[in-house]
Amino acid sequence: MSRSRAARIAAYVALAVYAAISVYPFLWMVSGAFKSRTEILQGGHLIPQHPTLDTLVDTWSRLNFVQYFGNSLIVTGSTVIGVLVVYSLASYAFAVLNFPGRKVLFWFFVSLLFVPGITVLLPVVILEKELGVLGTHLGLVLPFINGTAPLTVLLLTNSYSSIPREMREAARADGAGEPRIFWSIYLPLARPAHITIAVLTAVPTWNEYVLTRVSISDASLYTLPLGLESLISSEVPRYNEVMAASLILVLPVIALFLFLQRYFVNGLVGAIKG
Amino acid sequence: MTTLTVKDRAGRLREEPPRGGRPRGRWKEILTGWAFVLPAVALFLVMGLYTIGSGFALSFAKWNGFTPEWLWVGIQNYKDLLYADPSLAPEMRRAAWNTLQVMIAVPALTVAIALPLAVTLNSIRRLRSLLRSVYFLPYVTSGIAVYYAWRYVLEPEGSVNLLLRALGLGSLSQPQGFLGNPSTALPTLILILVWSSVPVATLLYLSGLQAIDPNMIEAAQIDGAAPRHVLRRIIWPLLRPITAAIVLLGVRDALHGFQIFLIMTGGGPGGHTDVLGLMTYRLSFFKGLAQTLGVASALGWLLFAAALLLTLVNARMLRRIR
Repeated sequence: MSRSRAARIAAYVALAVYAAISVYPFLWMVSGAFKSRTEILQGGHLIPQHPTLDTLVDTWSRLNFVQYFGNSLIVTGSTVIGVLVVYSLASYAFAVLNFPGRKVLFWFFVSLLFVPGITVLLPVVILEKELGVLGTHLGLVLPFINGTAPLTVLLLTNSYSSIPREMREAARADGAGEPRIFWSIYLPLARPAHITIAVLTAVPTWNEYVLTRVSISDASLYTLPLGLESLISSEVPRYNEVMAASLILVLPVIALFLFLQRYFVNGLVGAIKG
Repeated sequence: MTTLTVKDRAGRLREEPPRGGRPRGRWKEILTGWAFVLPAVALFLVMGLYTIGSGFALSFAKWNGFTPEWLWVGIQNYKDLLYADPSLAPEMRRAAWNTLQVMIAVPALTVAIALPLAVTLNSIRRLRSLLRSVYFLPYVTSGIAVYYAWRYVLEPEGSVNLLLRALGLGSLSQPQGFLGNPSTALPTLILILVWSSVPVATLLYLSGLQAIDPNMIEAAQIDGAAPRHVLRRIIWPLLRPITAAIVLLGVRDALHGFQIFLIMTGGGPGGHTDVLGLMTYRLSFFKGLAQTLGVASALGWLLFAAALLLTLVNARMLRRIR
């Protein structure tokens, strides 16, 4: 008995140690965000000795993070909506409709999975320059939507295929057309899959830095990652402001995760095992 | 893993839905099908097919992004990268060597941490779901904000150095900061990459462990098998497909991903953390008027070829394991 008890204590200690490693940078992020300029330079204490809200308030309003936050919401929101509209339609066709070219198209979309983002990054920028959308939010949203195609099409086609065909046949016998069947049967029944796609799209889009960095030059269009970067590129970064800005960036993601944890987990296991 | 996935799906697609009888109904069905896929196809033609095609063409030309004409050079860009150009080839070799280290170290360490973590987590009852959420945090927030937080704690006077000194391990602390010292920069970045890939690996192992029949493990324990034997003889072989998937993901990320290198070190100090993705990015966007866009495209396609090759090799190994 005492041996198994010792083993259990050892297990909890090991788990606690890794939990501490997992949250380590977040603890210092929160700590830094509540420190004043003078205190952050002294370093040292995890718990601020003179905690202040000034840094967060200052970063939010004077450093324009309220504007960057709005831009991030616009870009991420449009991307999520675009992905759901475009690929739910396409996946419905792949899953249940019968038309020539269906298999070839499906393969085309999925094979995009093998093309690394960096390989097409330069041609995307060149193309957008020619189309005149480089440097606009639309110029970000279009490639972001297209980039999610392989995984989204895989997950949604799979989810629509698992809906019993009899429901569709019954609706057809009642005289419902395809748009109607899609709208009133498939969309509601596959709701968990849609939420999964929404969170798996929203999080990387919210954090996206690489394409955004080379596209957007107008500071009034900056998203949060660019705003954050502009703080650190000054000679001596003020880490209290950098940490406050980082906190503003990650808090919505953490909130989303806490509310929709189930969809994150199902989506990931499904995407990798599927 | 991915190829297997794709095949499964294609198999499912092969069961044709019932046909629509009369010719007129058939035409209507075809048009409906195309109407549904039209937005996705249009976007794909512009953002996908065109960019892939023009990027591939560009890899056979020299261009600086401003002059109206491309200068066709055949496969010279590929030759330059692999051996011909005296400034590009060594740079590429060093970036490739760093990429290889990341590609081997990150999956190996991820498995070495995530498997014991998942087994331990699976063995307890209380606090399990709370701990699972905590462990998941690094994945959810992975990105620029967390990389800056790491930069902050790894500064010369940052909390990691202070912690090491407080623990009496002052000899391990880095007075120039962990990212400023050429010999610790790459290992530090590898550890942060492991830190952010452990969550998904742990989650996958947990789902695998929960699928193992507990009676099997109990029977082994009754027969007197020590815990480490249970782990080695029963759990490890059963979880091998999951391990293969984790390794595949890690290898792909090592080839495709460079964000952490761009944000945390920019390849420095002195190129010690340069990787192939980052080199492509630099050649694409930070060379001013030099004619490097063709070479950048060529390097992008070499990365594509490497990723495809490794995926195929991995998928074959995976099939043999199964």
